[in-house]
Amino acid sequence: MTTKQQIRVTVNGTPYVREVEARLTLADFLRHELHLGGTHVGCEHGICGACTILIDGRSARSCLTLAVQADGASITTVEGLRNRETGHLHPIQQSFVDAHGLQCGFCTPGFMMTTLELLNENPSPSDDEIKEALGGNLCRCTGYQGILDSVRLAASRLRTAQDA
Amino acid sequence: MRPLMAIEIPTRPDQLPTTAPRFVGKAVKRIEDPALVSGTVEFIDNLSLPGMLHCAILRSPHPHARIVSIDTTAALSLEGVEAVLTGDDVARWCAPGITAPEGWGNYCMAVGKVRFVGEPVVAVAAASRYIAEDALELVQVEYELLPPVANPDEAMAPGAPLVFEDRGTNVIQSRSYTWGDIDRVFAEADRVVSRKFRWNRVGANPTETFGCICQWDLADNSLTCRGAYQTPRFMALGRAASLKLPANKVKVISHAQGGGFGGKGGPRGTDIAALLSRKTNGRPVKYIEDRIEYLLAGGGQSWDRYYEAALAVKADGTVTGFRVRLVDDQGAGAEGYGTISAAKPLAAFTGNYRIEAAFYDMTLVATNRAPTYPYRGYGPPPHNLVLESLMDIAARELAVDPAELRRRNYIRPEQFPYTVPSGNEYDSGNYAAVHDRVLEMADYQALRKAQAKARAEGRLVGIGVVSTVEPGVFDWNAYATVGVPGVGVPEGVKVAVDILGNVTVAVGFNLQGQGQFTVAAQVVADYLGVDMNSVRVATASTDVAMPHFGQGGSRLGVAVSGAILGACDKLRQTFSRVVAHLMHAEPEQVELIDGRLQLKHAPEHGMSVAEVAGVMLARSDLLPPGVEPCPEATYVWTAPNRNLPDDQGRCRSYLTAANATHVVQVEIDRDTGQVTIPAYFIVDDCGTRLNPASVEGQLQGGVAQGVGAALYEEYVYDAQCQPLVSTFVDYLVPTIHEVPMTTKDHLVTPSPVAPLGAKGCGEGAIHTTPAALLCAINDALSPLGREILETPASPHRLWKVLHGPCA
Ligand code: FES
Ligand code: FES
Repeated sequence: MTTKQQIRVTVNGTPYVREVEARLTLADFLRHELHLGGTHVGCEHGICGACTILIDGRSARSCLTLAVQADGASITTVEGLRNRETGHLHPIQQSFVDAHGLQCGFCTPGFMMTTLELLNENPSPSDDEIKEALGGNLCRCTGYQGILDSVRLAASRLRTAQDA
Repeated sequence: MRPLMAIEIPTRPDQLPTTAPRFVGKAVKRIEDPALVSGTVEFIDNLSLPGMLHCAILRSPHPHARIVSIDTTAALSLEGVEAVLTGDDVARWCAPGITAPEGWGNYCMAVGKVRFVGEPVVAVAAASRYIAEDALELVQVEYELLPPVANPDEAMAPGAPLVFEDRGTNVIQSRSYTWGDIDRVFAEADRVVSRKFRWNRVGANPTETFGCICQWDLADNSLTCRGAYQTPRFMALGRAASLKLPANKVKVISHAQGGGFGGKGGPRGTDIAALLSRKTNGRPVKYIEDRIEYLLAGGGQSWDRYYEAALAVKADGTVTGFRVRLVDDQGAGAEGYGTISAAKPLAAFTGNYRIEAAFYDMTLVATNRAPTYPYRGYGPPPHNLVLESLMDIAARELAVDPAELRRRNYIRPEQFPYTVPSGNEYDSGNYAAVHDRVLEMADYQALRKAQAKARAEGRLVGIGVVSTVEPGVFDWNAYATVGVPGVGVPEGVKVAVDILGNVTVAVGFNLQGQGQFTVAAQVVADYLGVDMNSVRVATASTDVAMPHFGQGGSRLGVAVSGAILGACDKLRQTFSRVVAHLMHAEPEQVELIDGRLQLKHAPEHGMSVAEVAGVMLARSDLLPPGVEPCPEATYVWTAPNRNLPDDQGRCRSYLTAANATHVVQVEIDRDTGQVTIPAYFIVDDCGTRLNPASVEGQLQGGVAQGVGAALYEEYVYDAQCQPLVSTFVDYLVPTIHEVPMTTKDHLVTPSPVAPLGAKGCGEGAIHTTPAALLCAINDALSPLGREILETPASPHRLWKVLHGPCA
């Protein structure tokens, strides 16, 4: 149980080599070994989506993934959204701020990572497509209206940025 | 020394010392948000302290059992385990939690016997949470099973097993209240409508569960608790009592919370982590509750109610009396103050209506379900569901439109301030105007036409129109009848101006989601004429904070505004003295406007707030005698004009009365019992909207929780009192697919008595949505002669109503 295994992962562009226990979840690895606390844990059984990250561009529940399963992968977490050079928020982050897409903010990193995947694949989602994409993330505070507005706003801003 | 001038708290935004408010009343962006979207906010599980250990808790698998023996030797010898805590330690060091009424508290861990599934039995502190959980598997506990008390009927049966043997009964409290001539109004009624209702247990379920890090200082026998604390000082007091420490030796540092809604829990987890720290010679011990623990035994179960209720109605539709018998399953004791939620409806017992008499019989019962805790609204959501459902039934019997029946009975605008039979005074409102506005917005007549068409096609379409009052700004006096002492809920701040004119507001609470830091910054920035960017809002730990309560009771936005306005007025008075002294004038000749203290008769002579602060801090030689070099002020606000209740619980309790009318359209799928919500409209009136975007967020969030309570969420227990819900797979929090995107509008009837005219607005939607949905569902069912009087109206329950025998 306590045998350790070496893994190599790239997180938000930074490569890491670490020895981890086989049973360590990826959420715990990111949060407590790499000190990337923005990925939150709300249920640890795959329902709430607070722990959503991108593994090689695909959204995944880091609470249901073991760190060893991520060996060789490239991971994006909420900490990877902000522009490191300028310090500016990512358009998705800024849209959540501007359209009041959060209250306590605990679910928000998960929603934003899901949104990132959605908008990467579908820059002009309809409301139904947005709902379909976000259907696996729970928010107990907002009633989702501000979140829907935020995603619409982010989509339009990213499209404009692309056109420019 | 100059006599102190009275502190003036503006009750309207236009009384702020500014030409025009730049922030108050505007949908400004929240100052909380950049850090939250960056993932850098320090939620408690993001914090590690040097030498920190991790706690895991072994919980009872039985609802009711005697603990025969506990063997922890194997667990203790596991590498990485530093301490094990059992009921023996707890019995030696602790006192049971204080409750209202007294005497129904539990220890933080089971002592001698367990009273519900999930009750802590053994706790371990180890080098990691993984090791701590390994150790739990090595603990041996032998139980002798006791017969469970599964529901109030069983609990009140003669010879029932006792949940608390020393009490000699399972009834925590049984009493009734009579307000007005209830027997006469029922005797004189042309029609009495009555029904039984069942509201099943729901609960808060914030996305972040409870967590804490506790550290016992063995040198001076003091305790520091960092964590997801909703009401920091209250929590510190409670811990001092249960851990037998002087109250000033417990320091609580509240971290940002991932939601709370009243049901954050925390007392038991905190005590357990604290005792493990004590046992490990003062190492910090972290306890993070997981979701299964939260669902089984956290602070998240509320309102488990059996109602029998009746309305007395005249032939013309005037409702004259409301009678309610409530049996409330509190679960295993009163540790979570679930009792209060049965008393809270006194603040608005008869809703929006001119009902002249009322009667409330309330029986609070202990069973072997988990203890109940607060949840947003703290009791009225089920009560309103009962009242509003009866209004609809009365309308059907009288063949009057249900919206029209309500309108006839509303308290009229000219009747405010209005004292309801149960004693509270509503400050202001215009219920008919709110009602008319939402009916117009929803095009109610068109909705009814569409319904008639759908019915003709055999579809089950219903409409709910429900109005409620949201008592805002709670006071302890509202709960006196269940044993809570006191009048007044102090909320204090310190406002400090630094030498460069930046402002810091120190408050006693931390972020939870409602945006109170932003409201604080808006108010102080408009008052002192600075930019919101120059304002920092900081959380003071309980050892140095002013008296405070924090979030709860639909109160904090109003209360913190009041405290800031009081502190700012004190600053204004002191600053005026300084400026008057420098300009050889009298303080009364100085006014503050747009951040400048200037001479009223010669406004070109003045100083900025920053300049005055600079003089005070750096030029004591220029200060008038008696003025301290301190451009800071504290103020502790509590609602004005509250009083002690009489023997029927009547008092001026909640300061403000917001109100709303919801119009909802539903359709029921005959084959599955699934309810869909094609349209949802809200018009509300919570007085001045300090930040309209935040108000709308509160409304929409409350709708979502109301949808959950009305249609999906339920803590299910079997006949043996075993919980059948322990994950989010079973406890169905609504997703984006279930929650309607509501259409909203509002009216503004400012509160004449509250700071800036704002009313509590965090709970109104959850007060209204469950009732609106159930009324709409029963409206859809009415052509079939069937009805559902139990929540949640989940698909399986509705399917049974649709396809079962007619009642
Ligand atoms: S924490 Fe991973 S889905 Fe809830
Ligand atoms: S903002 Fe609190 S859970 Fe979504």
